[in-house]
Amino acid sequence: MKTFSKYWSIFQITLINSLAYPGELVGRSLMIIPFMWIFYQLWKVTFSAAGADGGMISGLTLRDTLWYLMLAETIELGRPPIARTMSESVKDGSIAYILNKPYDFLLYQFSTAMGETIFRAMLNAVFGGLTVWWLVGAPNHPEGFLIALPAILGAWVLHFCINAMIGLSAFVVEDVSAFTWIYQKFSFIFGGMLIPLDFYPQWLQTIAKFLPFSSAIYGPSRLFVTPTAEFFISVMTLQLAWIFVLVFLLIVAYRRGLTQLTVNGG
Amino acid sequence: MTSIEVSNLQKTFQTKRKAAGLSGSIRSLFKPEYSSVEAVRSLSFQMEAGELLGFIGPNGAGKSTTIKMLTGILHPTSGEAKVLGFTPWIDRQKLAYQIGTVFGQRPQLWYHLPAMDTFILFGKIYELDDRETKKRIDYLTEAFEIKDLLDVPVRKLSLGQRMRCEVATSLLHRPKLLLLDEPSIGLDVVAKQHIRDAIKRMNQEEGVGVLLTSHDAGDLEALCKRVIIVNHGQIVYEDRVSNLKRKFLTTKMVEVRYAEEVSKDYAINGVEILKVGNYGVKLKFDTTKTPVDFVMFNLSSVGDIVDITISDPPLEEVIAKIYKEVENSSLMDNPRSRKSIGTM
Repeated sequence: MKTFSKYWSIFQITLINSLAYPGELVGRSLMIIPFMWIFYQLWKVTFSAAGADGGMISGLTLRDTLWYLMLAETIELGRPPIARTMSESVKDGSIAYILNKPYDFLLYQFSTAMGETIFRAMLNAVFGGLTVWWLVGAPNHPEGFLIALPAILGAWVLHFCINAMIGLSAFVVEDVSAFTWIYQKFSFIFGGMLIPLDFYPQWLQTIAKFLPFSSAIYGPSRLFVTPTAEFFISVMTLQLAWIFVLVFLLIVAYRRGLTQLTVNGG
Repeated sequence: MTSIEVSNLQKTFQTKRKAAGLSGSIRSLFKPEYSSVEAVRSLSFQMEAGELLGFIGPNGAGKSTTIKMLTGILHPTSGEAKVLGFTPWIDRQKLAYQIGTVFGQRPQLWYHLPAMDTFILFGKIYELDDRETKKRIDYLTEAFEIKDLLDVPVRKLSLGQRMRCEVATSLLHRPKLLLLDEPSIGLDVVAKQHIRDAIKRMNQEEGVGVLLTSHDAGDLEALCKRVIIVNHGQIVYEDRVSNLKRKFLTTKMVEVRYAEEVSKDYAINGVEILKVGNYGVKLKFDTTKTPVDFVMFNLSSVGDIVDITISDPPLEEVIAKIYKEVENSSLMDNPRSRKSIGTM
């Protein structure tokens, strides 16, 4: 109980800390509004050019596509820059304080990451949701959000695992910006952040859907617009499999990285 | 009882080397070159429970690297260490319950939140009961005089106020050992005094041992009973602070004021005259070469003395002298050098 209570306290203090500058928090979240407007213009033209005005492309209507993209952006914009934060703490030496406390380093990082995520994601969902509602109307399956919720949490766990692994490489290489850039681009392409994977050619869809990037973005977002029991099971199964693999790899990487750590400064 | 036992501890870092300019950058991209830096070399020492031990040395001497190995953050390249019975890099989490740390240049308080939030968080992290945490916060706020500071966001505190809160936070869980890495860096005289008084009090009241690294000889004089001086990752001197003073504070500075005018040719054998004024003289002598009574006799034979001040050189000068002697005697590569210098 005390163990859980310490990570809960870390989560809480990060949550409070994220409210230190509410203006910055709201301002940053407002960015989702122009994003959604651009997506709307882009996909309206695309649907029209494909002769699918009011119809479907690969099983998705324009409304579904916009709500899908809203959730994809919410997941992506809500997550904190864990890899960069870890890299900075290695560079400026503040990792010394994180490592010398009686808690698990990875659970500490996860608790802070979730603390930073909650308000950001909520605001993104509110602003993004209102914008899409205004542009294309209510989602076809509002209950889809509740069904997608476990997958959204799973998506953040996956994001955390991948980002923490990139962050851990800072123990050896210090600067991880190149890796985070590559990860972001993979998320764009294979995660379905800009284009739902359903619009890809079949062979690319097959590859992309089995990669962890799709479990972190496409899976929960698609579940929101298609909340069937069958799809829920398939998304959660794949996601849990990836979480299992990545958590294992993360623990191994952490144990190895710790022996290689160089703490900068005096 | 021993709280720290270090034997032949060694830490070597691999540092990437790169020639200046664009060509150097490109070359290092394809053929990176690394060199080894021995931050800590064959370090061995012991610290007793409840002891106040100063660990000093110039920049890059290996002080912080040693502290980071003793807290388990860094793994050594070779060697052994036991801190409160634990091997730090193996039992890091278990050890963390028993030690407190302050890295003077890095904040552990949550910067945008009041210090009280960090206190409460640390209470949870160290698994203290809420009632115990509250009692402890009351005690520490009184000891460190920070009662009025706890509800102010840390970013609004002065450096001195923040450091008092930092050290108090590190003592929340009643550690047996406090590792302080440059706790007084950048502080003014009053703030330094505040911190030193509070640390001394915690040592006396709770018996917490303190291993302190510092550039400030004042910290050493005010707090520590024993000192270890390191340079280039090795111990170059290890003794009680009182012995350090006795062995190295052999130079005396004397300022004398006479009732009558003093001759400009004022001189005493074996004494360096620094300044001669109309009525006063400033001089310096080494007590091992020129006896004190000989100097006093000569000073009084010149005329009637109105006022006299005799002072020791600052401890910083003494430490600088030790560094210089070590460099000159080329004993750096000999791990036994500390004994040779210790008996100088």
